[in-house]
Amino acid sequence: MANRQLRQKAKELAKATGYLPYMIERYLALWGEKETIQFIEACEEQITTSVRVNSLKIDAEALRTRLHIKQVTLKPVEWLDEGFWAEFEGSPGSLFEHMLGYYYVQGVPSMTVTKVLDPHPGETVIDVAAAPGGKTTHIAQLMENTGTVIAIDEDRQRIKSLESNIQRCGVSNAIILRGDAKKLDRLGHTPDRILLDSPCSGEGLIPLDPSRKTSTSMADIRFCATREDQLLEAAVNALPSGGTMVYSTCSIAPEENEYIVDEILHRHPDMRIVAIPLEFGSPGYSQPYGVELNESMTLTRRFLPHLHGTEGFFICKLEKE
Amino acid sequence: MKPELVDPVEWKELTDQFDNEFGYGVSKALLGDRAPVTISRGDTKSFYLVPRDWVGSLEEERTDFEVYSLGIRMGDLKEGKFRLSLQILDALAELTDKLLVVSQQGAEAFTYSRSIIKESVIKLDSHLKRGQRVIVLNKDGEVLGLAALSVDGNRLKRLASDRLVGKNLVDIGAYLRGA
Repeated sequence: MANRQLRQKAKELAKATGYLPYMIERYLALWGEKETIQFIEACEEQITTSVRVNSLKIDAEALRTRLHIKQVTLKPVEWLDEGFWAEFEGSPGSLFEHMLGYYYVQGVPSMTVTKVLDPHPGETVIDVAAAPGGKTTHIAQLMENTGTVIAIDEDRQRIKSLESNIQRCGVSNAIILRGDAKKLDRLGHTPDRILLDSPCSGEGLIPLDPSRKTSTSMADIRFCATREDQLLEAAVNALPSGGTMVYSTCSIAPEENEYIVDEILHRHPDMRIVAIPLEFGSPGYSQPYGVELNESMTLTRRFLPHLHGTEGFFICKLEKE
Repeated sequence: MKPELVDPVEWKELTDQFDNEFGYGVSKALLGDRAPVTISRGDTKSFYLVPRDWVGSLEEERTDFEVYSLGIRMGDLKEGKFRLSLQILDALAELTDKLLVVSQQGAEAFTYSRSIIKESVIKLDSHLKRGQRVIVLNKDGEVLGLAALSVDGNRLKRLASDRLVGKNLVDIGAYLRGA
């Protein structure tokens, strides 16, 4: 599609669907018209609720039995032992089992991020931008409450919810630090793994929050990309040789995902993208908008509403030589 | 607001009070192989139990990051009163007999911040005295929170069904209410 034609098409589609034109323009350039329409339609569908069983407090079968009595149906997520699609009659957060910390209401892509990180008992793991604690509590669970999870966030209010979730889920191996994660290299801990689920534009969350169709400008995406680059740079600098890290966002924008990782690979030749040994999502883009990026970018993964029935997400696993 | 190892004299005072209330040796069992550390915030001191191998690195000076919490939160000391955290109650329930078991209906009301009335009580030891803090459990033995007895345990049978037995101090509904 020629540029002018693309702009005109984007304008028409944006008007018809309530998006900002620049967004549709990018989707058309990235996916073409057919897939863009599929994406827009999928964003109008409701995302199925999902929960993570907290094995620090209960096993999956026992929870399943308890919730079944309360008319809640759980169906396993294929690649996640602890993850379930769930159908609740009422609010998933209001049940007794939730207050008791037996499960965490969490999107499947978010659970997948921690599974990709693959933390082991006894390790030291840093969780950057950790609040409200879905991934921190998941990391602690996979580490069986041993070793150390260092959960960092900057926002005082959000840290309260992080602490609350840590307590509810029975996590005893976490240290919560308040501070600017861009100064991660001054932390004084040598981690085995770092998880950076970066603050982002949230462009992947349109199915959950339709206001995002109009709330983010291209300038916002650029602002987020700059911050993501700085955070990833700090995380890479704090990662020791042989360490593993996962970079993820709930944005579908290549500008916040593949472009950021590509820059890091340029600046840090000792970093490499590694394959994710789980079957989910679809490969990341090595040529978004026709821009040639590192070809190992196809080892990254994306969740997309129109292909996977989830919110949009990007997940990249990296190792330092 | 740097975490510090709890001063031994202060720890002894605290654990003596604790054992007095919840049973001899309870605080030692609760501590296990962890170390007690504290963070001061204004007139409140928060107490945490942490793995011993954390202690060295915690006491290092950090200017860029503030330690907000760590390990298991035991509770907060303010104006001479020690407020137990929700997090410590699970472990405490395993070690003490200062327990109050409530019905399903009572459990639901309790987790909505309500106090406990006689008709909700399934089990309360008769030796417990008014003012005693008790861990509130449902009939499956799951910890719901902490209450202060409003009556002596041996007077329970004489109470009318709508009379107050335990005042709600903290309950797991706080996780949803954001308290």
